Amino acid sequence: MKQTKLMWLLEQLTLVLVCIIALFPIVWMFLTAFKNGRDAYDLSLIFTPTLDNFFTVFRAPWNLGSMLMNSVIVAVSTVMISVPAAALAAYSFSRFQLRAKKTMFFAVIATQFIPAVVIVLPFFIMFRNIGLLDTTYALIVVNVAIVTPFVIWMIKGFIDAIPLDSEEAAMMDGASRLRVIRDIVLPMAAPGILTSAIFCFILTWNEFLFALILTRREAVTLPVGLVSFRTERGDLWELMSAAGVMITVPIFIMAMLIQKHFTRGMTAGAVK
Amino acid sequence: MRDRHLKYALLLPAFLIVMVTTFYPLAYSFATSFREWKLARQREPQGFVGFDNYTRAFTDEHFLGSLQTTAIFVVSSVVATVFLSVLLALLLRRTGSLHTFTRIIIILPFAMSPALIGVSYRFMFNPEFGVLAKGIGAVAPALKDIAWLADPSYAMVVLVLTDVWHWTPYMTFMCMGGLAAVPRATEEAALIDGASNMRAFIDIVLPQMRNVILVVAVLKTIFALKMFDQVVTLTGGGPGRSTETLAYFVFNAGFKWFDMGYASALAYFLTAIMMVVSIWYVRLLLQDRKMATA
Repeated sequence: MKQTKLMWLLEQLTLVLVCIIALFPIVWMFLTAFKNGRDAYDLSLIFTPTLDNFFTVFRAPWNLGSMLMNSVIVAVSTVMISVPAAALAAYSFSRFQLRAKKTMFFAVIATQFIPAVVIVLPFFIMFRNIGLLDTTYALIVVNVAIVTPFVIWMIKGFIDAIPLDSEEAAMMDGASRLRVIRDIVLPMAAPGILTSAIFCFILTWNEFLFALILTRREAVTLPVGLVSFRTERGDLWELMSAAGVMITVPIFIMAMLIQKHFTRGMTAGAVK
Repeated sequence: MRDRHLKYALLLPAFLIVMVTTFYPLAYSFATSFREWKLARQREPQGFVGFDNYTRAFTDEHFLGSLQTTAIFVVSSVVATVFLSVLLALLLRRTGSLHTFTRIIIILPFAMSPALIGVSYRFMFNPEFGVLAKGIGAVAPALKDIAWLADPSYAMVVLVLTDVWHWTPYMTFMCMGGLAAVPRATEEAALIDGASNMRAFIDIVLPQMRNVILVVAVLKTIFALKMFDQVVTLTGGGPGRSTETLAYFVFNAGFKWFDMGYASALAYFLTAIMMVVSIWYVRLLLQDRKMATA
């Protein structure tokens, strides 16, 4: 009895430790964001919190506002393009016998395993030739490319889990396939599609490589903007942290909103 | 519209997107890998040079070095992540309020931008005022004077650490999925018969988790090969070239030295490695499914 009690305590302590390890870097960044320049270089937990950093980053020369705007435009557009296209394809993959279905599906999955650096070289040339370098259009195109296969995969997992019965019943009553999709499948798959959309948003929002290569001044997004806080005077940690908080907060809120589906959604694609 | 046509019509938008945005660039960089093209001087690709760009790689010590760096990074990151996620999955499969809380909390490291993770670890490992550098020094005085990111081996340790911190949650969830499929009856019977927790785990649970662990390991290998963001924001490939992975090397070849032909060839080396691992992965999945339906 005594031993099980001890085990229980040990288990709880381990869990607390896990939470601390997971949270510490995040908490430290949040704290630093509210410190003034001098306190940021001090490890003390006692400091006078200030909102200055959040104002500073929006002013010249940092202009985080335009980066924030770019990030929002790119992430929202990517979701709006790739999720509807992926949902239709996922339905087709899930419900129909297709010629060369395995090959097609494999091709879709295989694109996930192509390193982004391979794709970005030709895109760089292409966008240079048509004058789209350093625009949000370019970023939307490449992000759609990377995200769409993943979203198809994820939504297919959710549609597979919907029983066929109600669909079949409606078809018997003479409803067309498109009506069935609109009136029956889409509402039932809505939580799954929403989860996939949020996933897609998070991936795009955090995307770094493409934005680093394809943008210079006008279309820079938040993750790349972080690098600009490295100056000749050294790294401006308190400003970086403030920017970090702004990158993180929307993502964390979304992740928590879909927290229940999140674990299922994020593993569904990989194991199914 | 009949289903016969509709089913392909539904696929069309996604199909077009994938074709235009993935297969076209792939073909384009494949063609470029056989040409000479120094972007800084030449606006258009120059003549074909056969396999020169590929053979050149094998005499390029920096390329070979980056292969080695990649191998070290991938192996350490995969081993550590798999080990920790199996442990964590075992711990989290029980019920309890702290368990539920932990399951929610660990989503956060996964949702965080990898570029930002690199930045924040760089801050925490700063030798003068980094909270982790100082904290580790206080707990283990032997490690007090390490300049973490200025030392080749320790910089690699921190790089691996950022990746493990980011990916362990995701892999834990996958392991939990695998664990949920393992029936508890045998394990409980063994425990009642007096087997220790450890024995029951090694003899009964672990063999049944074999497939999930393999899937997690291969998937993590793929992600580790693709890892790029933290190299830029944490170490910049340094000190020296000690953390210059293959993905970062390709990036340098293309966008620092503007050698498009060479960069394309290098990119195809990376793709080839990824493809081998991916095929292995898909075969694992198919095997897994066969076993599930048998």
